[in-house]
Amino acid sequence: MSVIVTEQLTKRYGRRVGIEDLTLSVPEGTLFGFLGPNGSGKTTTIRVLVGLLRPSEGGARVFGLDCWRASHRVKTDVGYLPGDLRLYPWLTCSVALQIFGRVRGRDLTRTGGELAAEFGLEPDVNVRRMSRGMRQKLGLILALAHRPKLLILDEPTASLDPLMQDKLYQHLRDLASAGHTVFFSSHTLSEVEQLCDRVAILREGKLVADETLEALRARARRVVTMRWLEAAKLDEITVPAFLDVYERRDRQWYASLAGPVMELVRWSADQPIEDLSIGQPDLTRLFQQYYELEPGM
Amino acid sequence: MTRGLIGKTIREVWLATLLFALAMAGLEALLAYILPKFNEALSGRWLQLDFIQGMFKGLLGTEVGSTIDPGVIASIAWVHPIVLALVWAQGIAFCTRMPAGEVDHGTIDVLFGLPISRTRVYALESVVWLVSGLVLVATGLLGNLIGGWLSDPQAPLAPGQLIIVVINLYCLYVAVGSVAYLVSSLSDRRGRAVGIVLGIVLASFLLNSLAQFWGPAKSIAFLSLQNYYRPLLVLRETAWPVKDMLVLITVGAVLWLAGAMIFARRDICTV
Repeated sequence: MSVIVTEQLTKRYGRRVGIEDLTLSVPEGTLFGFLGPNGSGKTTTIRVLVGLLRPSEGGARVFGLDCWRASHRVKTDVGYLPGDLRLYPWLTCSVALQIFGRVRGRDLTRTGGELAAEFGLEPDVNVRRMSRGMRQKLGLILALAHRPKLLILDEPTASLDPLMQDKLYQHLRDLASAGHTVFFSSHTLSEVEQLCDRVAILREGKLVADETLEALRARARRVVTMRWLEAAKLDEITVPAFLDVYERRDRQWYASLAGPVMELVRWSADQPIEDLSIGQPDLTRLFQQYYELEPGM
Repeated sequence: MTRGLIGKTIREVWLATLLFALAMAGLEALLAYILPKFNEALSGRWLQLDFIQGMFKGLLGTEVGSTIDPGVIASIAWVHPIVLALVWAQGIAFCTRMPAGEVDHGTIDVLFGLPISRTRVYALESVVWLVSGLVLVATGLLGNLIGGWLSDPQAPLAPGQLIIVVINLYCLYVAVGSVAYLVSSLSDRRGRAVGIVLGIVLASFLLNSLAQFWGPAKSIAFLSLQNYYRPLLVLRETAWPVKDMLVLITVGAVLWLAGAMIFARRDICTV
């Protein structure tokens, strides 16, 4: 069952296009990464999902409910952390849990208190006196405290220290293994790589990829580093079609492997190569290609 | 849910409401205490001057006459520019908090991350706004009665007519607040919303004052909210200004509703 479904979702801001024809499906219980460079439409999509923006065309549904018309019902089981988190200056963690608990109609003080202890957030310090990282922690606590079925996080690790990031990742993994769905946006590949089951990539408002991380890894090319002998005549070397050389630094070449490893081994045996290394499939380059290519290519 | 939202709003406005109410009570007490002492001086010399006559006419919205009766004195305390400024400021400050203020500060994202509808938030905010207005005018009335009693302890307390004036003032507060809600619903910047509403209210005040001695302004004076708040007529005629209050309430209700509809349909962009 899909928790989030968007169909040809388009959002325009006057003449400017935020997102265009976005068709997406997020299965229940997945850790779904939503990747894209700045301004690619990640936040716009998320704001449509939480009912802050009205779609110009198409539609978005969460738990089968229309995100615009039934926005308040949708959010009963949604935890949301905005990208540019702003909190009321007078708010403390304990007051926030009290107010949010009343609005949600359930007691959040226990679960919220446990999260605050885990994240190392003092319950009675107000937002005015909190650092950015502390505020982010409070935002996360408020998004997580009611154990939502769907968690929508817009670049959640911004301003968190690495230790806290690891805690959050672990928390998200636990949630996903318990059947909860996590939809989170990021422009950091490593974050998505170590956390997500599935990834969608946006570029200039358009979806350029929507696959499992396994499928992406299978398509990602290995990085090949070659070091030529000093005597080698580099101008005379014919590069085979399965090698895409993207950087030449004197006698050191960097390429991505587009064919089987054995073909490379066979070819290199006849070459004046001093050293050859074949790396792991490189997702970074794959993502860079997605970011750089024209949409639809 | 309702308790949570009202609790949040009260946390944000109680101090400002208290300060406005104290200022209103203090000012009304001062005016009610001081103004009767100027009665003779005003009737004797000052009222002969055309300029002073015009000023009173502009302020009170009607002819004062050749003598200053207790009704004029009492009504000055309710049309004094500082009193009106307090009422406007309270209404504008409150009603531009949400949505314009919340969008401006970016806190609306967190608020609407909760399972609440926009109309519900708007309605609950409005309930607190209406109650805080009641507190404001009620403390003003209390201050006025205390000031009057201090000025002349022998004079009997007669709040009856003053209550009508205060209710008329409350209707004006509702109308001004509704203008602010409408502008706030259309705006992403609180400062801009406050500026626009302040401009509208000042223009309305100016129009009403000009209409007392300038023909062209008189023909469009019905557009001024101030035109429907004339304490002197209430105190002299001892009758309820039903028509004036209905106009203010109707304007308020229509603008408030328009604001609610716009807010429910608009995009919320904080970035």
